[in-house]
Amino acid sequence: MPSTTYAAFTLLAALTIGPALIAQSSKPAAGGSVRVSPPQLTLPIGETRQLAAEILDAGGRPADGRVMFFSRARRSLRCSRQGEVTAVAPGKHEVVVRAMFGRERGPETTVLVTVPHPAPAAIQLTDPPAAVFTGTRTQIQATIVDKDDVVRDDLQPVYTSSDERVASLDDFGFLHARAPGEVDLEVRGGGLTEELTVKVMANPVKRLNITCSQPRARTGDVVTFGVSLEPAEAVRIAEDGAGAPVPVAFSMMAMPDDTLGNAATGQITPDGKFVAEKPGLYAITATSGAATSTFMLRCDERFEQKRKLVKVGHGPVLDVHTSDLWVWEGVDGRDYCVTGTWGANGDAIFWDVTDPSRIERIATVTVDARTVNDVKVSEDGRLCIISREGASNRKNGIVAFDVTNPRKPERISEFNDELTGGVHNLFIHENYAYALSASRRFDILDIKNPRAPTRVGSYQVFEPGASIHDVWVVDGIAYSSNWRYGLHLVDVGNGVKGGSPSNPVKIGNYAYPNGWNHAAFPWRSKDTDKFYVIAGDEAFPYGLSTKDNPTYARGWIHFVDFSDLDEPQEVARYEVPEAGTHNLWVDGNTLYVAYYNGGLRVVDISGDLMGDLYQQGREIAWFLPTHPKGVVANAPMVWGPQPYKGKIFFSDWNSGLWCVELVADRGRRR
Amino acid sequence: MRSLVSAFGLVAAAAAQATPTEQQPPAPLYTAYVACESSDEVYIIDFDGKSAEIRAVFEVGYQATEIEGPHGLTIGPRGQFWYCSIAHGKPFGLLYKYRVGSNELVGECELGMFPATMQISPLTGLLYVVNFNLHGRMLPSTVSIVDPDAMVEVGRTVTGAMPHGSRLTRAGDLHYSCAMMSGELYEIDACSFDVTRSMQLDINRPKNHSSEAKPTWISPHPTQPRVYAALNGKAQIVEVDTERWLVKRRFATAKGPYNLDVSADGRSLVATYKTAGEVGVWDLAAGEERARIKSSRAVTHGVVISRDSRFAFVTSESKNADPGTLDVIDLRSDKLLATVVVGLQAGGLALLER
Repeated sequence: MPSTTYAAFTLLAALTIGPALIAQSSKPAAGGSVRVSPPQLTLPIGETRQLAAEILDAGGRPADGRVMFFSRARRSLRCSRQGEVTAVAPGKHEVVVRAMFGRERGPETTVLVTVPHPAPAAIQLTDPPAAVFTGTRTQIQATIVDKDDVVRDDLQPVYTSSDERVASLDDFGFLHARAPGEVDLEVRGGGLTEELTVKVMANPVKRLNITCSQPRARTGDVVTFGVSLEPAEAVRIAEDGAGAPVPVAFSMMAMPDDTLGNAATGQITPDGKFVAEKPGLYAITATSGAATSTFMLRCDERFEQKRKLVKVGHGPVLDVHTSDLWVWEGVDGRDYCVTGTWGANGDAIFWDVTDPSRIERIATVTVDARTVNDVKVSEDGRLCIISREGASNRKNGIVAFDVTNPRKPERISEFNDELTGGVHNLFIHENYAYALSASRRFDILDIKNPRAPTRVGSYQVFEPGASIHDVWVVDGIAYSSNWRYGLHLVDVGNGVKGGSPSNPVKIGNYAYPNGWNHAAFPWRSKDTDKFYVIAGDEAFPYGLSTKDNPTYARGWIHFVDFSDLDEPQEVARYEVPEAGTHNLWVDGNTLYVAYYNGGLRVVDISGDLMGDLYQQGREIAWFLPTHPKGVVANAPMVWGPQPYKGKIFFSDWNSGLWCVELVADRGRRR
Repeated sequence: MRSLVSAFGLVAAAAAQATPTEQQPPAPLYTAYVACESSDEVYIIDFDGKSAEIRAVFEVGYQATEIEGPHGLTIGPRGQFWYCSIAHGKPFGLLYKYRVGSNELVGECELGMFPATMQISPLTGLLYVVNFNLHGRMLPSTVSIVDPDAMVEVGRTVTGAMPHGSRLTRAGDLHYSCAMMSGELYEIDACSFDVTRSMQLDINRPKNHSSEAKPTWISPHPTQPRVYAALNGKAQIVEVDTERWLVKRRFATAKGPYNLDVSADGRSLVATYKTAGEVGVWDLAAGEERARIKSSRAVTHGVVISRDSRFAFVTSESKNADPGTLDVIDLRSDKLLATVVVGLQAGGLALLER
């Protein structure tokens, strides 16, 4: 390398450096130090500055050697090896200046570069009201932005009112209208001030009557409240005077049947949708100004008849971990299941489940892999495709079997082109296989001739660090799960966006903050005609124990209302405390969730959905599969469910294949 | 680097702190760290010159139900920390930093696609790890350069398709790697992070990044201006003269040469033959393979020679549920001396020496 690269120290002619700063920031090796000019600096975004360095020996005299510069935050502060720094993003960033003597790492120092936020440029108010009504509460939403419209989260707006007798503002920006008049509101922050004049009008509502969509409800039912205002012309008066309806606030008081220290017991939204979590009496109050009205609603236990899950059969796999499953009706009319294996020998196991009380292991196939994470069977029951990870030659991919006779699966092809990094999940839909490629994208393979699959398309989320985990296809729409980038809906033949397998087209997407999006299942509610994509998490914040000890997973089920494909909304969840979700399935109004250490869970998702379905008592039943000789003894770890012909099959990571059914719970435990 | 670390100072300091009544057993002569790519485990194995035994096994990674693939291992120059690359990520892989002894995780850093082999330069103090990126389309990938003190990536240098075999000269000033699918040898200036030279190792320039030579490893000579490259697809090892920048000698090997290491005395080169399931010991002066030893398992992978040039430590992956192994070969007798069964797909290897 040309020595000029390291000659930055020669740029120094005369340095005046604060010795205290050097003492704080440098880590000189014995016998020398590095002196940098400037020793620290403040650099606005977009600006560049050259650093210069000099190596000093133990006596403080200039010494020969090479110097390199590098930034410890290169995406926020660029730094060339020659010490030219350019500010990219706000913050306090470090540049390391390191000396090298011959073959040894020498002394070094650190230069602190402060990149300030750009100055605040404006205070932006979101839909500020021109007029409000006495006795109501309206939030003034203000944000402080810089010249690039980037929100300055580090600055909090301060709100004041010119006349608190007319209207006052609290620390959260809520405007409390008290008396007719006019007030000047001031929002300050970052040296800026934004002013707003608001007219406070007399509330035209003299009385209001609360209405309810039903006289009695069960826990988990979404009940809609409304109001009628008196005088009737109050609405028109409001529209004429303020250009908006007079606000009505709903509130709730709970009187649960269980009064022994019960927790919060219900939820009501600003638009009057209410759901109860516990049986009891609920007082729902609507208020506008001085007018109030209360409705007493009785909410009963959701299920009069309790049910439970009982074991029908078990196909034990006790020597290795079991992964996914697929149950299907074979071409001979009998019922079969295939399960994968995890961290083992690359096996997939075939079962005859025609009599689910006598699950029979009928065949095992082995491929070059350590994990067969996913297994799928075509709609006609003739083709099974399994995924490969951990191949000895690192050429993973998929392997296809003719399962016309599941007792003798015939290996007919494998495909690994551009899938070598590992296929974690796959799906089969109408002559196409959808296979994940090394967590980057899903590829679409034409399997009309399953002996010679060909790639015809692929879909990838092109975002920084995007990673895919699963894909599921229904009615020509692929639902992919992408961790922190959430759900992606892709037209692969549905036609809604003109997509096809060779031309997949994104329909919409939705991401949620925890970044755990692992699985997805589409479902249209026949009760409400709402279209949901139900998303499952996967998370192991306390690790995964592959042997000896149980695992304590986390995560929940997210109900995302995709009725408006452009404006999806997360409206409900199902969260079992102290456990973690994995795969899921919906049949009719029933959700089946493999809840890892929480076992198999069956949930009623009829009607409208809002809030936490678990807290609302919508869970129908649960089952904890255990086996004393399981891979981890007596530790449920349910991987995937599949309802099938009135029964529920599921795979358990520690103990194999299970079949259970829902029966009435008459309270007997023996 | 051969991950040969002098931890003598560390051990001596620990011994000095012990009171006479708290005599510690003598530290092992050699401690091997073995990454098991398909069971997400690292085995720590002591070898006293005669026999080897497992001291510790623990799991690595963060997305537990997926094979995350610990691939590369190295130990810091002062023997205080060891580093492990996690190949599969979401989608980017990670570098983990652990404290030697307690094996406490003390830092992590996101890298590129499938970070694999790595080494720390004694000159720059930085860690150079290739982003192997064997996923999907064969495109030029990168070498990530990491400040292991702060565990942040400070640079990324573009090289060829599927870079592998990240090794530095003894001086630590030049970094070498080879691009398996574009068939190239790359030289990077460790200080400037720039590619200074590259060499096509295929006779004919590969089309569509499908090299016939498939170079999988590079190993600089400790004292001479030479680097050795394993041409996995051609069953050859080539010796490159780095002064004249040309291939000087070619050695025919068994099938699938994969990893290499040159002994500190510069006399021997040990090569793993992945496809053949063997290990070759080469006399570099004579240019002859002086011994060929059968590995204890199939799919022979990594090799590190101890700094005293006495022993070669070799990992074998095996297949499916058959566990991998660590073999120790005595380079005086060229015989297999010890075998330890480890986890699935044993590959990456680093050595801590007393």
